[in-house]
Amino acid sequence: MTAFEIDARQVPFNNGDNILKAALNAGVEIPHFCYHHALGSLGACRLCAVEVKPEQPEQRPRVVMACMEPARAGLKVSVAAPAALRARQGVIEFLMTNHPHDCPVCDEGGECHLQDMTVACGPPYRRYRGRKRTFINQDLGPLVHHEMNRCITCYRCTRYYQQYALGTDLGAMRLRNEVYFGRFQDGPLESPFAGNLVEVCPTGVFTDKVFRSRFARVWDLDTAPSICPHCSVGCNTLPGARLGTLRRVRNRDHAELNRWFLCDRGRFGHQYTEHPERPWQARVRGQTVNYSDALGAALDQLQRAGAAVAGVGSPREDLESNALLQRLIIRHGGFFAAFTDPGIEAATAHAVRYINRMGTPTLAAMEHADAILVAGELTAVAPMMDLGVRQASRNKAKVGVIHHVADPLATLADYDIRLAPRQTSVALKRLQGMIATTAEQSSGDEHGLAQLAATLMHAQHPLLIGVVETLGAYGVAALAKLAQSLGGQAALAYALPGPNAYGAAIVNEDGATQKVLEAVETGKVRCLVVTAADPLGDTRTGWRWREAVGRLDSLIVMDCVDSATVRAADILIPTAAWAERSGYFINYEGRVQCFDRVFERDKPLPASVAVIADLANALDLGAGEPRVAIADLLPGIALPLAGEPGIRLTPRVRLDVPPPIESVAGATGHWQVGLASWYGDDPLADHAAALSSLAPASTATIAPDTARIAELATDARVMLRGPAGSLPLPLCIDANVAEDTVALPRSAMCQIGVGHGGYVELEAMP
Amino acid sequence: MSVTAVVRGLWGSLRTTLWHVRAPRETVSYPEVKRALPERWRGRIVLTRDPDGEERCVACYLCSAVCPVDCITLQATQREDGRRYPETFRINFSRCIFCGYCEEACPTLAIQLTPDFEMCERRHGDLIYEKDQLLIDGQGKHPGYNFYRQAGVAIPGKGIGEGESEQPPVDRDSNLP
Repeated sequence: MTAFEIDARQVPFNNGDNILKAALNAGVEIPHFCYHHALGSLGACRLCAVEVKPEQPEQRPRVVMACMEPARAGLKVSVAAPAALRARQGVIEFLMTNHPHDCPVCDEGGECHLQDMTVACGPPYRRYRGRKRTFINQDLGPLVHHEMNRCITCYRCTRYYQQYALGTDLGAMRLRNEVYFGRFQDGPLESPFAGNLVEVCPTGVFTDKVFRSRFARVWDLDTAPSICPHCSVGCNTLPGARLGTLRRVRNRDHAELNRWFLCDRGRFGHQYTEHPERPWQARVRGQTVNYSDALGAALDQLQRAGAAVAGVGSPREDLESNALLQRLIIRHGGFFAAFTDPGIEAATAHAVRYINRMGTPTLAAMEHADAILVAGELTAVAPMMDLGVRQASRNKAKVGVIHHVADPLATLADYDIRLAPRQTSVALKRLQGMIATTAEQSSGDEHGLAQLAATLMHAQHPLLIGVVETLGAYGVAALAKLAQSLGGQAALAYALPGPNAYGAAIVNEDGATQKVLEAVETGKVRCLVVTAADPLGDTRTGWRWREAVGRLDSLIVMDCVDSATVRAADILIPTAAWAERSGYFINYEGRVQCFDRVFERDKPLPASVAVIADLANALDLGAGEPRVAIADLLPGIALPLAGEPGIRLTPRVRLDVPPPIESVAGATGHWQVGLASWYGDDPLADHAAALSSLAPASTATIAPDTARIAELATDARVMLRGPAGSLPLPLCIDANVAEDTVALPRSAMCQIGVGHGGYVELEAMP
Repeated sequence: MSVTAVVRGLWGSLRTTLWHVRAPRETVSYPEVKRALPERWRGRIVLTRDPDGEERCVACYLCSAVCPVDCITLQATQREDGRRYPETFRINFSRCIFCGYCEEACPTLAIQLTPDFEMCERRHGDLIYEKDQLLIDGQGKHPGYNFYRQAGVAIPGKGIGEGESEQPPVDRDSNLP
């Protein structure tokens, strides 16, 4: 490897590196503002001035910007040279002329790049006694606070927002020393990745508004390496807590997953842990009791029910709780399922099976794909995968999106294919047929599928991403077969429904959800134990669960958020949220990652695994050791510690499931229901006050053509009828919705009892 | 040693003693008589107010960070109008060593040490002073200073660009130089 010299130290570099990049990679500090690993060099701030020693005797030493000067072998660079020091001091002094006297009231203080650089390079006192330039701030919504006076014009924000995250509503305005970074008008930032501005900005222009409301300095925060509990990507995070409350979440670098950035759901979703309606007190049939009484009541019910028990785990519950509950229930002679909807269970099981068989790319690897097909609303389910697709798109990859409602990714796509929910798997099969026959016929190709098939076929590294929840088992299989037909270089990834959906699929036996649901419905089960799941709030099967739980003697629920199931519980045992305990999640790649306990509350709640272990020990079932339960599940795997990059499951866990059969529900109605999700839509993040205030209004959304044929006026209210009941909703007309589809939010789907792809009756209300 | 030297020595001591009988006294009979302490005496800590009568403390946490014995605990919050203040401010005087670092660190001149040391309690817990015991109705040693007049953030009564040594705000919608 070639190297150059910085202050008598050899620094290796790769071809194309500049001095700054090579130095930072080698651990040599050169002061800088505008350079960022993800955003590259710009040369705007002029802080990374270094002196380059002359190579020829007649030349003189020159001061250059380290971020703009390519590294060459034999180059002699000095960071400490007096000329470079003077240049940097001058830059800092000029930046400080307009920087306000804000540090005591600025949230960036303590982790401010400008503070660090001023202390490191600048003059200790300000000589400038003139008047400072000021700007009016903007209201950028409930997540990001704007304080424009503090800006040092490094352009990191717009470079990140426009070039990296491909957002459009934040930019630079005006000129010379009055450049303004903001939106055209006040209003919430539209990008689902806007929260990263907080970390990208080297000063306090963009700060975390949620953290601001209960602020603590960074040096006072209790932190521990953690994993994001809001989707299956498993981004690495660093939550910060103080005085027994969780205050904020920041990104923690993982070389193969999130690296420098987080989505807004991951950054601001943590507020659910501080929700006022969060269950804090154990309840037994409406009476507030202490933990040991609730545990005693639960034991009593389990013993009384004998073998007529069932357990429901959850894809958002950690691995050990699922594994331990399964052991407890099976040893007790009952039924266990880790899902609440048989459709989601089958789809997840298939996705995991295909991931195991074909492998799946890391988030970092997704950026190197040159043709991508996304089946489903990826931004709403796994926003960070969407950010990966955006990077690939920046690298000139062709992107095709099959979606049924408005989708941020579809607006960037080269092939925007809008299809009704049930048409998606049909389209995937057609694509596979086109690729298998290598026929690029254009006849009867109303959706641009042939072009997409040709793009995928000619690509070197095609990537297929499927959203499991909306694809269903049949669609999951269709996408996998499409990947197989593309040959060995095709990569396949699935956005699974929950942070530990992979783990839940391993614990779960095939068809278990259907068995549990039927057993509860037929009265074979007297006592149902639910941990961190909300069967009663499920879209497709919620109404069946709601009817079925009436036949139980007791419903025992453990959860850390308020839900329909929590409200219906006979025995409620509130449990610790993810930052209040440690555990394991398995992400979409099959990567086992450990999250550590970040803090303890004044009145700590037990982790669900501890509650289950207490139950198992009291029942004398010998199932009380979580590590043993995991070891049985994942034999030969040395579990990673928190803060480690995690272990991908190899040799891969086998999962035998029969091939899926396309289910055609015998429901009435002509309208297909499509899930209208958004990037903050998650059972936990729904309880995050600031984030959920951005949720779109609850409407029934249909396409304009469909509205015209059905003779529905724009401002009409419609009545939706499904198996569980009817619901009036305001109508919204949106050209981004597929034909014959009515897009509904999750809560509305739950009330009328249809899942994604189901059918409903819709009629205009007078 | 001669007898004369002994007598001279005894007389010398006796003379000093006799002189002190008439000399002015340093000792006062505290607590009936209280001595005036120097202004810079480092005693009981107070939180002061700015000339407008608002709390000076902006809850920047610098005092609690610099405190060598960790006796200061606070929680920041802010008013609807954006002005930041401490929701709770607690000093454990049974731990405090009156070093004055907090006063030195305070960027808003809010926290000040006063020439008062008379803090006796029967229980340790009573030496934990809450904000209502710390906050006084005056400006203390530094009259006239108002942090928000110097800072760039807006508060009621002082918009952006209305502080001391600030230009009027830039019109971002104009492209005129």
